[in-house]
Amino acid sequence: MPKRKLDPLPSAAFQILLALVGEDLHGYGIMRQVAEQTEGRMRLGPGTLYSSIRVLLEEGLIEELKPGDDADSGDERRRYYRLTSAGRKLARSEAERLADLLRVARAKKILRGRYV
Amino acid sequence: MSEKIYAFFLRLYPTHFREEYGDEALQLFRDRSRDERGFFPRLRLWLDVFFDVTISLPREYFHLPWPRVAAPAPQRLNEFPAFYVFQNESPRPSALLVGGALSLVALTTCWVSLNRVHRSEDSVSSRFSDSRAASSATKDSYRSESAVSAPRAAASESGRALTASTLNPAERRRIVSGTAENLKQHYFDRASAQKTADLLMVSERRGEYDAVPDRAALAAVLTQQMRETTGDPNLSLDYFESPLPQQPASQTPEALTAYRENMRQQNCTFEKVEILPRNIGYLKLNSFPDPEVCRVAAMAAMTYVNHADALIFDLRDNRGGFPETVQLFGSYLFDHPEYWYNPRENTTGRSWTHSPVVGNNLADKPVYVLTSAATASGAEQFCYDLKMLKRATLIGETTAGAAHSGVWHRLDDHFGMGIPEVKAINPYSSNDWAEIGVEPDVKVSAPNALDVALKLAKNKLQKK
Repeated sequence: MPKRKLDPLPSAAFQILLALVGEDLHGYGIMRQVAEQTEGRMRLGPGTLYSSIRVLLEEGLIEELKPGDDADSGDERRRYYRLTSAGRKLARSEAERLADLLRVARAKKILRGRYV
Repeated sequence: MSEKIYAFFLRLYPTHFREEYGDEALQLFRDRSRDERGFFPRLRLWLDVFFDVTISLPREYFHLPWPRVAAPAPQRLNEFPAFYVFQNESPRPSALLVGGALSLVALTTCWVSLNRVHRSEDSVSSRFSDSRAASSATKDSYRSESAVSAPRAAASESGRALTASTLNPAERRRIVSGTAENLKQHYFDRASAQKTADLLMVSERRGEYDAVPDRAALAAVLTQQMRETTGDPNLSLDYFESPLPQQPASQTPEALTAYRENMRQQNCTFEKVEILPRNIGYLKLNSFPDPEVCRVAAMAAMTYVNHADALIFDLRDNRGGFPETVQLFGSYLFDHPEYWYNPRENTTGRSWTHSPVVGNNLADKPVYVLTSAATASGAEQFCYDLKMLKRATLIGETTAGAAHSGVWHRLDDHFGMGIPEVKAINPYSSNDWAEIGVEPDVKVSAPNALDVALKLAKNKLQKK
């Protein structure tokens, strides 16, 4: 089986998947959501954002909503993206992998304070 | 304005990305610049943009999308070769135009530069070959052959050094002015020296040497120019790739001791001294060595053949040596002092042979001298003078044409000049053997020269 493009999952792609967990968003919305969930540490630039989106689309982890798919979307000119079930599954397994890592890190007592 | 700048950055991305996400990316930038106002947020925005472009641009180029136009391979192949295309549109007319123009410019540049290189190689190589004989021949340190083996070896390298030794303008100026200065200081014809030196300096200032690619070529070009201006083929500027010694190696006591020992072991390079059938004396002299070391050996050789009816001097492997020794051998061939032309010396009392030599029987015997194209320098003097005095028959090939009448002057570690410091009076003709060699009376290939000489000698003796 050929190696998948997103193995390992780049941090930007993972953040985009997480950003789309709760709601469908357009590019700028994703960017702001990522900035928010990382407390401003990651601000995706247009190049990085859209090249990640392209790969995620190709891999079927997100999908683009056709105009009129989403009644809530205020701006029809923008393209909205939604998490697919494959994307959700991948995001979960990535989170579990990180959780495993976190467990190891805890056991080794290299974490202090609020992470524990 | 900011948007225009970002739009420019976007143009750097591959077409497939711009087509797919160009508008979106621009919209995102627009959104951010609308929301992030003030100095620091704006600064952060631009930093983000630069960082983003730096990271994502190469990725987009190296990470091409999956084939978008080709149909799935099994359907399309159908036992015929198929290829995939990554773009689904033909190039824009402006792109075609720019590409065409750029190709044209590149091809024209190639053509022009190739032509230039070809032309300059042509001119340099023709100049170089003109004076190549002199370049490789005239570096004798004037007195000894053993001392010059290193520079001579280097000289033969100089052709190969063409590409290795490039030249910068400051060095070129220094070499040209050094050449001009030495010429003015040492060349015997002051007026001609001044004229030539001025010409070299003017040529340098006008940039006529700018196209000369390297040191060896510069030496060749300056040599040719000096010779053309003065009409003197003995002037030369020579380039040596390996550094020249501060003083001629022959002048150190160690070198002299080594030279003496070497001469003793080689019987002073007198390879054969024999009496051949029909009482023909045969001397194979491979140099005319230092008389201070080899005078006795030379006299002994001539004494050994003293009763011969004819003499053959075999100089086919003789590359020269000391003028005094050349003259010493010559003295045995006359019964009265003869003017013995030496291009290196003013006419003085020493310019006459020391004839007659006491007890010598050879002054009236027929003499044959064997030559080859390698016969050079002092050996050519022997040939030339005997030929001019009609005292010998020269058999073999035209000689090398190395007069070596220039006195050696060191310019720096790699350049030296041969400059004639005296005007020797040539009683025979205005040209000696410099550059042209000595023509034999009987032209045969060098390996056959001895047989021909023996035949001629025997015929001559039979007639007696």
